[in-house]
Amino acid sequence: MRRGFLVAGGAGLVALALYPLVGSGYGVRFMLQLFMWIALAQSWNLVSGLTGYVSFGHVAFFGTGAYATAILVAAHGWPWAPAALVGGLAAVALALVIGYPCLRLKGPYFAISMLGLNEVMRVLVSYFEGLTGGGLGLSLPALYASVPIYYAMGLSALAVTAAAHLIITSRFGLRLMTVREDEIAAEAMGIDTACHKLYAFLLSAFVPGVVGGLFARDQGYIEPVAVFPLAFTITMVVMVLFGGKGTVWGPVLGAACLFVLQELVWANFIYLHQLLFGAIIIIVVLFLPRGILGVLQQRYRLPRHV
Amino acid sequence: MSVVITPEMVAQVVVSGLLAGALYAMVALGLALIYGVMRVINVAHGTLLTVGAYTTFWWFNLLGLNPYLSLLFSMPLAFGLGVGLQRLMVRRVVRAPELSSLLLTFGISIALVNVLQLFFSSNLRSVEFLTGAFVVGRVAFSKSRVVACAFAVAITALAYWFLQRTRFGKAIRATSQNPEVAMVCGVNVERVHLYTFGLASALAAAGGSLVAVMIAIQPEMGQVYTFKSFLVIVLGGAGNYPGALLGGMFLGLVEQLSSLFLTTQLNEAVAYLLLVLVLLLRPTGLLGGRAT
Repeated sequence: MRRGFLVAGGAGLVALALYPLVGSGYGVRFMLQLFMWIALAQSWNLVSGLTGYVSFGHVAFFGTGAYATAILVAAHGWPWAPAALVGGLAAVALALVIGYPCLRLKGPYFAISMLGLNEVMRVLVSYFEGLTGGGLGLSLPALYASVPIYYAMGLSALAVTAAAHLIITSRFGLRLMTVREDEIAAEAMGIDTACHKLYAFLLSAFVPGVVGGLFARDQGYIEPVAVFPLAFTITMVVMVLFGGKGTVWGPVLGAACLFVLQELVWANFIYLHQLLFGAIIIIVVLFLPRGILGVLQQRYRLPRHV
Repeated sequence: MSVVITPEMVAQVVVSGLLAGALYAMVALGLALIYGVMRVINVAHGTLLTVGAYTTFWWFNLLGLNPYLSLLFSMPLAFGLGVGLQRLMVRRVVRAPELSSLLLTFGISIALVNVLQLFFSSNLRSVEFLTGAFVVGRVAFSKSRVVACAFAVAITALAYWFLQRTRFGKAIRATSQNPEVAMVCGVNVERVHLYTFGLASALAAAGGSLVAVMIAIQPEMGQVYTFKSFLVIVLGGAGNYPGALLGGMFLGLVEQLSSLFLTTQLNEAVAYLLLVLVLLLRPTGLLGGRAT
C-alpha cells in the first residue's frame, strides 16, 4: 500500500516535471497558479492549521516578498531566483517583528493583529515612493519565461508540503498540535509555547515570501493593491479549511479542488465569488470542522500523517 | 518641509481627536461586550458598521430622510441581524476553541461584504448632509463630526446606564464575570448571549450611520473598524468596559497627533505600531484590566 503510494507519487512528479514540454501555454500557466495556491495554502496550514493561531493577514508576507524581489531585480539587477529567496527572508524578518509581541498572547490578539498587518503593509509600500514606486507600482525588465517560474513554483509547493510532512510526523509537530488543543496543558507539560508558535510562524512566512517574489517576476509589474489583496488570504483560509486543516494533504486537496472549480465554474459567477467563499467557511466551521480529508480519515481510519 | 506648529493647531488636533475617539469608543464597546460575555472576537463587527452606513445612505437617498433619524432604522435592523447571526450560527461555536469563532465570523464578514457589493456595487457613496464647520476662535469643528460625537456620547451613556442599572444589564455583566456562577444564580446565559450580540451589532450600526455623513461609504470600509475597535479594547484592557471608552479617546488622539506631526497617510501604520507597543509593554491594557 505504502509502496504503491510512493510509486504513484513519483510518477506524478515526473509527469508534472515533463509537462511544460508538451503542455499548452494556458496549461502551464494554469498549473503554475495551482502550484502557487498549494504553496500558499500549505504555508498557512503550517501556522494556523497546526497551532490554531489564525493568521488573517498571511498575504502580507506574499506582498513583502513580491516587493523585496521586485526591488532587487528592477533596481539592482539581481537574477530572479536569489532575489525571490531574499524575498522569503524579508517575509521571515517581518514575521519575527510581528510574531514576537503578538504570539505571546492568546489567539484573538494574533488573529486581529494579522488582519491589520496587511493594511499597514499596503499603506507603507504606497508611502515610501522612492523605494517602491508608490501607487504607480514597479515594472520589472521583460522576461518571457513561464517555464522556469513553473518549476520554481512547483518546487516551492513540493518543499512546503515535504516540510509539512516532516513537521506533522515529528515531535515538534506534536508539540504544536498540543498548543492547538490546550495551550495551558502544553505549558504544564514543559513546552515553551511562545517559542514553538514563533518557530511555526517564521516557517510559515518564508514560502509565501518566495512565492510572492516568483509572482512578481512572473507578472512583470506589481503595485500595492495587487500584491496585498485580502482576497488572497481568504482563498488560502478557504482552501485549507475545505481540504482539512492540520493535515499534510488537506491543503493540497483543498487548493486543487477549489482552484479547478474557480477556473472552470466560478469564473462565470465572478460577483458571487466571495459570497461562496464565505459560505464555504461557515459551512465547514459549523458542519465539517475537520474538512474533507478529516472526514475521509475518520471513515477509513487513515493514519495521521496522510 | 518645515511647518510651524502653533498652539491653535494642537488645540485643533486635540478636539478632532476627542471627537473621533467618542465614536471609536461606542463602536468598540460593542466588540468588548461580545468578547466579555462569550470570549468571541467578532470579526464581522466592522461589517455590521458598514450595514449601518448603507442603511443611512439608502434612507437618505430614497426618501431624503435625515441621516441622524435613520439611526432609528439602522440600529434595530442591526440588532435583528445580530440576533439572527447569533441564533443561527455563532451560538454553535461559543464553547468551541477560539479558532472556530474567529473563522466563522470571518466567513460571515466576507459573505456580508459580498451581499453589500451585490446590492450597492463597490462605488464610493456619500451622504451630503451637514457640511461645513463651527468656528470658535481659531479652532474649527466640523459640524458632522460634532453632531456624531454628541450622538455617540449619548448612545454610549445610554448603553452604560443599561448595563449598570437594569436587571438585564446586570445579567450581562454577571455573565461576563463568570458564566457558570451567573447560570447558577438563575441568569439565562443563552438569552444574554443572544441579546448582547444584538446590542453590540446595534452599536456598530450606530457608528456606521454616524460615519456615513463624514466619510465615503463602500462595502469594505468596515474592516478598518474591526481592527480599530480591537485596538481600542486592547488599549482599554480586554473585558474592561470603562477601559474601552478611554481607549477610544486615546486612539482618536494618537491618530490626530500623528497626522499633525507625520501625515494622514500613515495613520493606520501609527495605530498599528501602537497596538504592537501596547501588546509588548502593557498586555493587560492601559488601565490594567483582567489578564488574558
